[in-house]
Amino acid sequence: MSWFVTGAGAVTSVGKDADETFANLCAGRSGLAELRAFDSAQYRTQHAYEIDDRPARERDVPYRATDWLLRSVTEAAEQAGLGTDLSGIPVLVGTGLRELRSAELAWRDGADFDISRLHFGTALRERFGTSDSHTFSNACSASLYALALATDMLASGMHETVVVAGVDTLTESMYGSLDRVHMEPPRSVQPFDRQRRGVLMGEGAAAVVLRRDVEDRSSSLGTVRSVSVNCDAHHVTAPDPRGITEAVRAAHDLAGVKPSDIDLVLLHGTGTLLNDEGEATAVSQAFGPDVGVPLMTAVKSMTGHTSGGSGLLSLIVALRSLATGWVPPIAGLRRPVAEADGFRFVQKEARRVSDMSLAQVDAFGFGGVNAVAVVERGAR
Amino acid sequence: MSESGTHITGLGLALPGVAEAADLVSSGERADAPPPDPAERIGRKGLRYKDRATQLALVAARDALCDAGLITPDRERCAAGGSTAVVASSNLGNLDSVCTIAGDIAEKSVAAISPMNLPNASSNVVASSVAIRFGLRGPNLMLCNGVASGLDAVRWGASLISAGRAERALVVGVETGNGVTARLTGVPEDDQLDGAVALVLESSTAARLRGATSMASLGEGVRSTSVAGCVGSLLPYDASASGGTHARGTRSGGAVEAGPGVWFVPERFDLSAPLPGTEGLERHDVTRTFGRASGALGVLQCAAAVSWFASGEATAALVTSGDDGCDGVAGMMLGAPRGAR
Repeated sequence: MSWFVTGAGAVTSVGKDADETFANLCAGRSGLAELRAFDSAQYRTQHAYEIDDRPARERDVPYRATDWLLRSVTEAAEQAGLGTDLSGIPVLVGTGLRELRSAELAWRDGADFDISRLHFGTALRERFGTSDSHTFSNACSASLYALALATDMLASGMHETVVVAGVDTLTESMYGSLDRVHMEPPRSVQPFDRQRRGVLMGEGAAAVVLRRDVEDRSSSLGTVRSVSVNCDAHHVTAPDPRGITEAVRAAHDLAGVKPSDIDLVLLHGTGTLLNDEGEATAVSQAFGPDVGVPLMTAVKSMTGHTSGGSGLLSLIVALRSLATGWVPPIAGLRRPVAEADGFRFVQKEARRVSDMSLAQVDAFGFGGVNAVAVVERGAR
Repeated sequence: MSESGTHITGLGLALPGVAEAADLVSSGERADAPPPDPAERIGRKGLRYKDRATQLALVAARDALCDAGLITPDRERCAAGGSTAVVASSNLGNLDSVCTIAGDIAEKSVAAISPMNLPNASSNVVASSVAIRFGLRGPNLMLCNGVASGLDAVRWGASLISAGRAERALVVGVETGNGVTARLTGVPEDDQLDGAVALVLESSTAARLRGATSMASLGEGVRSTSVAGCVGSLLPYDASASGGTHARGTRSGGAVEAGPGVWFVPERFDLSAPLPGTEGLERHDVTRTFGRASGALGVLQCAAAVSWFASGEATAALVTSGDDGCDGVAGMMLGAPRGAR
């Protein structure tokens, strides 16, 4: 089975909407900047990929994640012709950190924050009239996990349309804990590069409208062919390549495709020592002799790690790349890791390719929660 | 066991003052009951650096898996781990870790925080820790979905099974009270649940193949904008039936056929508020016994329904979580196992 993507929306450090984000990624523009969210004197790490919409430097305010989520869902719903009334339509939100940043501000600084808005359902109901919304806090694969559940809802025949979204903001607890485990603070995210030092957080939201069927197939942005989900059951933070390999193979099997059918892979590529080695090893294993067939890229080199929203953002980029032929590069990748031997990385600048049809999208999270999607090109 | 549908085949409890499932429905205050002690229940090994919510979840999860016959206390790795999903629900679980880390950074600096706390900064630490300890490699979901989150978790567990993504799902609801949750929620610590509940959900086929016993069957999960709407969609009130009784349930794909005898109401629901279709239903609010249960509520309610069935007092139970002012109200009908009727 296939499910149609009829609308997409995004808010990132490199764009106010999906179009601007994709154009800037293809132009190699990065959202990297010096840390603005927090009192940088308290940290070793000094950089992040933030959406710079706070009222003043180092003066953070609550509900920024909720705001981006509502914007990205609005954009996707409008493009899909749904308008702003989503009553009766399930909305599944994947997030790593919910509104935990607002909770930090409330706890420490006395910011005005209603704890019942730690998840996004109440705001979604107020804006769109939803009653069947779900906030999944599934670390960095959350939005692709949500997409998998959305395809199950459509396959069950109970629903014609499901909205899927992902969102995350920087929290001090996560930024600080990551800072604490870096050997040397990274100054940028360099996926798969031998010189990479680790991950930097990014902010953003992404949303898609998924439908069982459409009257006019030329109006679809593309189709979701499969989403596989599993768990390494191995370690709370370190990935296990065996679990990732299984997830990739399961996604191919569910979609009924072979590794050699895949034209493009949007890698998870976080720039951490462990993820990139593990992911490269697993993808090599799953693709076998065909590992050199698809082009490979990873957008976190320009968006930072947008955590729970990152999988869906990669999926939107993948669909745009398939439709336009333009594939954004991995910014800052000079010497790829040995485990990625044979990978056809897109380096330095965007590449134009014709006749791409199928893409694979990876998203993996803390606790070994893996999600892999296969998507197919649409007409626009 | 009925031919189709999803069944509860295991139950695990880490609750104050509860030694066995039967204690769930015996009324009474538990203010004096000591909080569950994870180290005493499952030993210290593997609990270091885990926050309290994760520790409580591990206790309930182990008991549920043992109860279902999927593991033994001496052999915790689940042989059926590849086909077993985990769905955990908690709203406040890692709130104390998150806020304490943020506070320590501001007061001192990032050097003052422990790198061992990194996993606890991510809200899915409960679901993944359960999977790691017992070797459960199926889909792994963490619901943080407000007051209906626990019942939503049960629904997603059943959904993963019916979609063919897993043969069974371990559903865990957990919350814990502490200074951070008390201040941010405005609910005093002694009125917050400090505990965890776990259920093993299994397709009837998978359960039958390994000879597992059903404790309850699950009906279809619904979501509505109001308690009345939710109850109305699960209990089609048939005014034409003699005496205005409930139409026999039709929404559950045959899994739950009888009208309910008990209604597990939302947290602090007015037990005397009139609501069409619920006349004669015994109302039960588990949070009056165990404290406000937030994301654990729906799982706790389902466990209470199992206990109710075991006592022979009802053949079906209506469960609802959420109120009219929040993002939605979740509801589900549960049926007693066939042999119990």
